[in-house]
Amino acid sequence: MNAREDFERWGSAAALAAAPELTPMETLLWRAERHPVQSSTTTVIIDLDRAPDWKRLVAAAEWGTGLVRRLRQRVVEPVVPTAAPTWADDPTFDLGYHLRRERVSSREEMLAQAAQIALRPFDRSRPLWEGVLFEGVGEGAAYVLKIHHALADPLGTVQLLSMLQSGKRSHTARKPVADDDVAAPADADPVDLAVSGLRTGLATLPEVALATARTLGHAATRPQAVVASTLHYAASVRRLLTQAAPPSPELTPRTGRMWSFLTLDAPLEPLRTVARQGGGTLDDAAVALVLGGLRRYHARRGSTLPEIPVGVRVSLDRADDLGNRFKGALISGPLAIEDPVDRVAAVRGEVLSLHTERALEVLDAAAPALNRLPSFVGASALRTAAVPDAFVLTLPGPPRRRYMAGAEVQGMYVLGPLPGAALTVCLVTVGDTACIGVNVDASAVADMADLAACLAEGVDEMVSAAPSSSDQSPVGPM
Amino acid sequence: MSGLSADAQVAIEAIEAGPQGPSVGAFFDLDGTLVAGYTAATFYGDRLKGREVSPAEFLRTVVTAVDGELGGDPTRIAHVAFSAMRGESEEAFADLGERLFRSKIAGTIRRESRALVLAHQRARHTVAVASAATKYQIAPVARDLGVEHLICTRLVVEDGQFTGATHGPMLWGRHKASGVRAFAREHGVDLAESYAYGNGYEDVAFLSSVGHPTALNPHRDLRAAAARLGWPVLDLSDPVGGSLVAAGRTAAALAAMNSGVVSGLAYGLLRRDAREGRNLAVKLATSLPMALAGVTMDVQNRERLWTHRPAIFVANHQSSLDIPVLGALLERDFTIVAKKEARWDPRAIVGSVVIDPAYIDRSDSASARATLAGVVERIRAGTSLMIFPEGTRSATPVLGPFRKGAFHLAAQAGVPVVPVVLRNTGELMRRSSLVLNPGVVDVCVLEPETDWNEDDMSERIAALHTKFEETLAKWPVQ
Repeated sequence: MNAREDFERWGSAAALAAAPELTPMETLLWRAERHPVQSSTTTVIIDLDRAPDWKRLVAAAEWGTGLVRRLRQRVVEPVVPTAAPTWADDPTFDLGYHLRRERVSSREEMLAQAAQIALRPFDRSRPLWEGVLFEGVGEGAAYVLKIHHALADPLGTVQLLSMLQSGKRSHTARKPVADDDVAAPADADPVDLAVSGLRTGLATLPEVALATARTLGHAATRPQAVVASTLHYAASVRRLLTQAAPPSPELTPRTGRMWSFLTLDAPLEPLRTVARQGGGTLDDAAVALVLGGLRRYHARRGSTLPEIPVGVRVSLDRADDLGNRFKGALISGPLAIEDPVDRVAAVRGEVLSLHTERALEVLDAAAPALNRLPSFVGASALRTAAVPDAFVLTLPGPPRRRYMAGAEVQGMYVLGPLPGAALTVCLVTVGDTACIGVNVDASAVADMADLAACLAEGVDEMVSAAPSSSDQSPVGPM
Repeated sequence: MSGLSADAQVAIEAIEAGPQGPSVGAFFDLDGTLVAGYTAATFYGDRLKGREVSPAEFLRTVVTAVDGELGGDPTRIAHVAFSAMRGESEEAFADLGERLFRSKIAGTIRRESRALVLAHQRARHTVAVASAATKYQIAPVARDLGVEHLICTRLVVEDGQFTGATHGPMLWGRHKASGVRAFAREHGVDLAESYAYGNGYEDVAFLSSVGHPTALNPHRDLRAAAARLGWPVLDLSDPVGGSLVAAGRTAAALAAMNSGVVSGLAYGLLRRDAREGRNLAVKLATSLPMALAGVTMDVQNRERLWTHRPAIFVANHQSSLDIPVLGALLERDFTIVAKKEARWDPRAIVGSVVIDPAYIDRSDSASARATLAGVVERIRAGTSLMIFPEGTRSATPVLGPFRKGAFHLAAQAGVPVVPVVLRNTGELMRRSSLVLNPGVVDVCVLEPETDWNEDDMSERIAALHTKFEETLAKWPVQ
């Protein structure tokens, strides 16, 4: 049973990330990257119950990178930005460069090391990932994977890892391998890319000109409608950029250059119950949980801020579906609401209110144009977006127990970058547990230990707000 | 059918089919939802007309309003208005609210919104108006709709004067949502089972607080959000031409009633036949105004109105409209019993001239008995009697207890009782409402009951009461 599921999953892993070009948004992030302040690096920490056999892990990585070709590809930029960057096989790929192991004496040390690894920039001429196995983390071990956003966003990274892990502890002998037929383009030449991009650009120029003329003609005949719709759009942009709460003085000054990783665990079922009670989703509960922790932190420091700006992810599809079109946006996170259920409801209201903003996709709309301009223009465009105090993100992880080279996965924490925020929090659902990874800008927080304690209390508060299972009517297998 | 759109009918049927009782809440936004347009604009227009607005305040208001439209803080306009009210008398402002309600706002109440409110009241839900407006705008509307609870922005009053400040935040956007949640906690309302109706883009948080949100005549950004969130959208028709036309129609109807009476009586004088003159006057005085106000009737079992004359017609009483409706139904040879005090009521005086009612002095039982003996004589002589056995108009659509008087008269005069059930006169012209809305009145004439006597009278009255209730709860399909 497990074996068949594994094969199906591995099959879809092979099909993952097959597009040869970066999308306009990926291109923008890629060209505008200024690590670590404007970073696109995601780090995943996987707690394992024991140190896996090193040879078996290397062999698994050899197989996995063969299955998912992108892990052996690099981004090739055209010499001038006339075309999108392209993925091409790296002829010099060497697994030894990307995968290594180290020894530590405690989990804290591993977390500190992981933050240092994340802060170091990638070699942009090689495949954009790096894995380190830490041995000596208590009885077990930890696998730390650093991955670039262009290769996979946090959701894709968690999916990729869940796909590559196995449903059983023992070795699977004849695992599927990638079809050589679908092998990606061989190494691409930057000059060729630029020239062919220019050629396509010139070939489509008449069409573009015609379309522009048509749009202008349309605008000329209905000037009022065009002006009104432009103003409404501009108003929406302004609301999205300015109407969230001002940043908290307790979470400054931010440099974005000192990352500190924290991990927290919570049982998933009570979180889902509290979410339901507040009429919200797990995403809303995650935001409410973080706000609960920050509320305590602010209260202890004598601050009575009513709200702080929080970055959330809004699905552009139906709100309750797990669609795959997401946009980041800012809400005013309530910091004054004590009751966790009420806080979830308030967060829910803020998040759903974003659906009235027609400018939610503004950066997507602007990305193709920005990509034609020098990269510093794109970088500053990304910076103009208002900056939250905290980003909060929820990601679905594996629903059941998984193994990596014979070691059981006990927790999977995603540590996102800090693009101007003081905290980035990712909640990953792993089986029946919520694994919460927190990246903190250490320069912005006066008392890191206190913040960690407050966040842990925020978790307890949410979990205990749900009626305990003994209070509920017993429903079980008879 | 009662003249409601199919969509409104479906919404009402869903309310009827859903859970009943006060733990279910129904929250209605005011501006754009219960009433078409903005009550604040009506108030401001009045201030402008009264030249109470300095050019500087006017300019400030316009600039703030435009800024709010263009993505600035939309609540600032209200605060500009509130601070301009500093020093004004609360009492005078409340009077202004009443005056503007009568002259302008009453006519902008949407008929189908009224039907929705009524459906929730029938289901014994806890109905509240939730609005960023002040109680001076809301209270007259709520009273007209029979809504008890207001969740609204409260202005600070000291020594009977406004200070220009508000108690807490203006209940707009997220604050309206938190106001509704707090109200639900206080009143034991289960939000997951509750309903909310709103039209503005800022109402998303408010609507998302309940399990059954409806975007009612939504602003285009809310319409887009509702489509994304899968919320039902209900488009109700606005009062025809707004207040002016509705009020105009009502005025025309009143004029027609009077001229109908005059011409009918004049005809009677010319022909020297008072009875025929009276009958013609009734016909003109009831059918003319109803036609002008756009009220028609859908009558079931109309033949029963004629098969048992003379008879005592008993009907339920919700509205001032009931009398002209019954007049139009009975057409000729009938009268009413009224309390003595009503003789000098200017609203009833026209009717009293026409149908020559029997006035009863409730304070003097001997004279009352004498009057009733006279009534019995008139019935035996061929004049039917119309009586509302509830005694008075019921404040809610709930049927009140029946008094025995009508049935004693039936026993004494030896005539049958013809029960007439009126369904929705209260929707077309609510108790204490000054505006008659166009629409179709549903009438159902039940089986006439003969052979009344004192022995089993109480049981038969109770059985008839039940028949009324059943007919109102489940309207017979023709």
